[in-house]
Amino acid sequence: MTQTAGRQMELTLPMVADIEIAAARAAGNLARELGMSSEKIDEMTHAIIEACINAREHSGCADNRMYLRFTGTSLADGSPRIDVWITDHGKGFDQSEARLRRKQLGAAHKRGWGLQIIEAHMDEVEITSGVQGTTIHMVKVEKKSGETGETTS
Amino acid sequence: MSEELRVAVDRRPAGAVLYTKGYINNVGGEEIANRAYELMDDGVRTLLLNLRETKIVNSIGISILIEIIEKMMDKGGKIAFCCLTPVIHKTFQIMGLANYASIYNDESEAAKELGL
Repeated sequence: MTQTAGRQMELTLPMVADIEIAAARAAGNLARELGMSSEKIDEMTHAIIEACINAREHSGCADNRMYLRFTGTSLADGSPRIDVWITDHGKGFDQSEARLRRKQLGAAHKRGWGLQIIEAHMDEVEITSGVQGTTIHMVKVEKKSGETGETTS
Repeated sequence: MSEELRVAVDRRPAGAVLYTKGYINNVGGEEIANRAYELMDDGVRTLLLNLRETKIVNSIGISILIEIIEKMMDKGGKIAFCCLTPVIHKTFQIMGLANYASIYNDESEAAKELGL
């Protein structure tokens, strides 16, 4: 689909407590400038929060940094689209193993819901992970008609 | 970058209402848990969490809320939530919390149903 020239933002953030809020606010501001609704922005920011927490808690990276890039574009029909890339230079992870961790009430360990939350809140999610680190690319689109795209993984 | 959670407690004859303000992360979740466990130790068996002034949660915070629900269920009590934003409601559903705690649109409806 044709897109108009976008806006772009890049951030390098230290992996410290609550830094995910800074990332979420930056992306939220970009989305607001493009006219995305507050409900869609809330969904996107909650996904970004989970992705940043995953990087902070599980990446095991030596540089203690996460690298974020946001692009905002308007599609041909005027629909706002935000692309988010969050990269760490950590040890990578096994996606299939992570997806199997469905927790239930009563389970001894209730953590590990981040990926499920990300996929539920975003329209597209793609993860590239290996020994050089992990990049998660997420897309949020608000169709002018009010429809959103399919969530993929 | 502090997003400290504040919790206010309203004791009522048949239970209590906890009002949260701010980010429910690990620290915020533990703050809620501390207040909830104090109330449970004091005999409270019906607890309503009003999240009207909470706009952001994360999965760690919600996992702590699930632990609170489990402890209350072990004691034969119940926990409910009200005034959730749509995205928080959706996140509760994803993590299964909505299967074990009632969720109400507003506090008056919740108080009526819970007898608070």
